[in-house]
Amino acid sequence: MNRRRRTLLGFAAVAVILGFFPAVQEALDLPTFYVIFLFTTLFWVAQASSWNILTGFAGYFSFGQGAWYGIGVYAVSVLVGKHGWPFMAALPMAGLLAGVAGLLLGMVVFRLRRLSGEIFALTTLAIAFVLAALARLLPAIDGGTGIFMTGTPLPEFLGDFTTAMYLLTLVFSLLTVMAAYLIQDSRLGWGLFAIRDDEQVADGLGVPVFRYKMTALGANAFFAGLMGGLWSLRLGFVTVDDVFNIRVPLFVILMSVLGGMRHWMGPVVGAVIITTISDRLNSAGLADVSQIIIGALLVILALAVREGVYLRMRDRWVTTAAVFFGALALVTLFDINGSLISDFAYAMVATTLAMLVPSGVWERMRANRGGTGGDGPPETLADDLTEANT
Amino acid sequence: MDLISQGVVSGVLFGGLYALMSLGLSLSWGALKIINLAHFSFILLSAYIVYQLSVSYQIDPLLAMVVVVPIFFVIGALMQMFFHAVDVDEFKSLIITFGIFIILQSLIQTVWSADFRRIGIELNPYATQSISFGGVAFPVSQLIAFVAAVLIAVGMSLLLSRTYFGKAVRAVAQDRSMARAYGVDPRRVAVILSGLATSFSALAGLFVAVGQSIFPGLAVGWFGIVFSVVILGGLGNTLGTLTAGVVVGVAANTASVTWGPLSAPLVTFLILIAALLFRPEGLLTRRSVA
Repeated sequence: MNRRRRTLLGFAAVAVILGFFPAVQEALDLPTFYVIFLFTTLFWVAQASSWNILTGFAGYFSFGQGAWYGIGVYAVSVLVGKHGWPFMAALPMAGLLAGVAGLLLGMVVFRLRRLSGEIFALTTLAIAFVLAALARLLPAIDGGTGIFMTGTPLPEFLGDFTTAMYLLTLVFSLLTVMAAYLIQDSRLGWGLFAIRDDEQVADGLGVPVFRYKMTALGANAFFAGLMGGLWSLRLGFVTVDDVFNIRVPLFVILMSVLGGMRHWMGPVVGAVIITTISDRLNSAGLADVSQIIIGALLVILALAVREGVYLRMRDRWVTTAAVFFGALALVTLFDINGSLISDFAYAMVATTLAMLVPSGVWERMRANRGGTGGDGPPETLADDLTEANT
Repeated sequence: MDLISQGVVSGVLFGGLYALMSLGLSLSWGALKIINLAHFSFILLSAYIVYQLSVSYQIDPLLAMVVVVPIFFVIGALMQMFFHAVDVDEFKSLIITFGIFIILQSLIQTVWSADFRRIGIELNPYATQSISFGGVAFPVSQLIAFVAAVLIAVGMSLLLSRTYFGKAVRAVAQDRSMARAYGVDPRRVAVILSGLATSFSALAGLFVAVGQSIFPGLAVGWFGIVFSVVILGGLGNTLGTLTAGVVVGVAANTASVTWGPLSAPLVTFLILIAALLFRPEGLLTRRSVA
């Protein structure tokens, strides 16, 4: 309980600090782009965290993030743009509709006896494109014309559009991450982890397998849809091609694989790193190659870091802090690139690279440095295993 | 009447292409336990290579077979060797092949741009010819693709059921370590099978290039159709895949004739859901490899 209280206090602290950022930005006269960059990051943090509830915790690989996100985007766009609903009334519908869609899929696929993991993965891959066809076909949804969302009125007290967008994204992404944390730290979470390790054994031990998987899928789709609904404002002009494509699932998978899928903080860390790097690649005019780099990164990371960088950062926190702040200081000192975000991007790349040092090599280095003569291999193997099972 | 029979015929012929596109995925999933998402970009890449050969060197698109099939056999074999070297499970194979898919898609887009490409009629006599039979037209390009699909499906089925190699494949699919104990080298079998699977996708790509305009977005559009065919046909079951291709082809084609082309993916998906609910093991299961 003590640990949980501390974590929740941490959430509150982050909420307060980030909540005041727009005011700080205005006071210090920093570029508005920082606020936009920050809420984009928060959006991806929420997307990756919600994906991880199902795929990381329960082990069911999902490409469906784009579908849930798209349902959310279109729910809000249609209700606000075509039926004149107030935005704040339409937003919960985005989450609910996506959640219901997720549960419907779960009712079909989770009943299968064999291969249900693989079939789940590929069905979720197909579903976004079916939804895209549906949206194009039906004039009641889109009909191929797109929907304008610019100028949607938001509650007055939230301030101008950028600030309002920032505050809304902050609130909902914190809720998403908190939900992921609370799920991991509960009976449900333990059940999901058991399902991931061995579903049959979990079933035999009395874990309500079907209900838990449905809950995880429902939560994933709900939060993805909610964030999608919010994001329709950022898109401004909503089109089928922009919404239902491979980008959202690609990014959440990459972020979670990088950060680590066995801890709720993994996707958060992964999302921050990937958003920063991809933003820098795009602003450097490398949008074409950035997709190739991201694909290659996915392959390498899937092979190189089983447990994700977050757990390694926690293990090697001294190195992490040293490399991160060292790199940040160096980059700032020599003023390689004027932008603050670029400085952070360099520091993050350096830290991530430091984390890619394999656990075995790392242990040996630590043993040598400490001079305790702990001769590596057997110990290292055991460490590797415990680390992987954390 | 003629319209309906024409619709059914072209559905069946399309089904041949769908089956050809699905065979490789079905084999590698069923027998090798690798869900190869890169398969879709292999088909597309092969289509672009055929297009380029035909445009740059005036090579007859069907003759391009002698170039693309060996190339993709090697690619498939190399990919399987890579999987052996890094030791992947199904879960990882999804992530890794998804990464490869993304890389290839961006490469294709960078090299050939997002424009629609089509082999010119003067280089591609197959696209415009058709054989008429009883008032129903059989477009030559689709007819050849269909015949190729039947030959490969039947040939693979015979190969798997009648030959030593086929027996080895089935043994590896059922129990890898047991197969090894009986003197089968699972790695060699897997490398050859993976090569075969990708060379089928090369052939599928060739017929795509012959029959229609190609653009990078095409590959994601195949997900639904190919996946439905693979599931409906049963993993690793080549004759089942052929049958399922025809079923899906007829259904999708009839739907797009009746309700417009956008309804085809919906009908395909409904078939998939129905298949998952009522026959998750595939249409014809007896001869399944897995």
